[in-house]
Amino acid sequence: MSDNTAKAREIAKKLLQDGTVAMVLGWEKGSEPYVSAPTVVRDAADVDRLVVDEYCIHDLAALLPDYRDHSDKIAIFAKGCDSRGIVRLIQDRVITRDRLYIIGINCPGMKDPNEFIRAASGLSKAKPADKAAKCLHCQYPNPVIYDEILGEAQKPGADQRLTEVDKIESMSADERYDFFIKEFSRCIRCYACRNACVACNCRTCIFDETKPQWVGRSTDPVNNLLYQIVRAMHVAGRCIECGECERACPVGIPLMLLNRKLIKDVDQLFGPYQAGLSLEDEAIPPLSRYRVDDPDEFM
Amino acid sequence: MKSFLQYLGIEPERYQLAWISGSEGQKFADIMTHVVDEIKKVGPNRKLREEHE
Ligand code: SF4
Ligand code: SF4
Ligand code: SF4
Repeated sequence: MSDNTAKAREIAKKLLQDGTVAMVLGWEKGSEPYVSAPTVVRDAADVDRLVVDEYCIHDLAALLPDYRDHSDKIAIFAKGCDSRGIVRLIQDRVITRDRLYIIGINCPGMKDPNEFIRAASGLSKAKPADKAAKCLHCQYPNPVIYDEILGEAQKPGADQRLTEVDKIESMSADERYDFFIKEFSRCIRCYACRNACVACNCRTCIFDETKPQWVGRSTDPVNNLLYQIVRAMHVAGRCIECGECERACPVGIPLMLLNRKLIKDVDQLFGPYQAGLSLEDEAIPPLSRYRVDDPDEFM
Repeated sequence: MKSFLQYLGIEPERYQLAWISGSEGQKFADIMTHVVDEIKKVGPNRKLREEHE
């Protein structure tokens, strides 16, 4: 049992016992050694289920909207990416800061259980990487908001987030269109990318509406791409670059190419700006506020 | 949005946005003519269309 797991259990136990919180959002071991699945612990007697290891990759903040109509106080474990998600949810008024007790985890980078599952199933010959793709690009491994913190502060890697975007931009318009249409022809419209996303927190999602039906539901390449155009625009300026959408996609569509393009544009037009870094007023997403001197260019 | 559509390979001429007040009839006409001219220049669209038999 790792040091962090022991500490995590101890903290959770204390918080539940003294009534500081009613529930703890953490991770527990799943069906395989390389799976640490999100879990809820409500009883101090159950804290031994909790683990903090190198497979705790799921963004727990994405679960918080499920509790938006409760009043319970919640303790939540938060890596760098999760903590930015929490900031965004507070800014979107999905949850209030005083309902949360945040146990930060300085994050050395996680492994992606999906890669291990694919390798174990024989469907993929690729060897699982030591660090998930999303963690290779991570610029904020240390939580930006917390009440208590676990582990040593980590140094972020080199910032190469936009290299792939730049590559696409250097292609011709037709090449770009053909590239994206080909990628999105594989989409099965499972909506895993939406469900995994902390920025996708609308009570009624536009893609679930049928009257009117904004985007066709059949899985043809054009409707698939339209779906992602709308989704990416909806989270523009609020996407915290956690990479969970791309990781959740069962057919491996490079969704971060869309998100990072919008991150780049928002940063250049309104920036410097990155979502979910602080709760200060100045950190409100540029597309969620009114300003007389708005550059108007984003439309 | 424009820059995003461009990124996806859509010609920027096809997506134009303008603020026109209800009293600006001439401006509306001018902009419409401009939009049509621009689109004629880029030609028929093959992108983001559903194919129907
Ligand atoms: S994206 Fe960053 S904070 Fe999140 S799991 Fe990876 S390294 Fe940790
Ligand atoms: S769009 Fe993807 S990267 Fe951005 S917040 Fe949502 S899940 Fe994370
Ligand atoms: S997760 Fe992938 S396959 Fe599923 S809806 Fe999103 S893009 Fe399509």
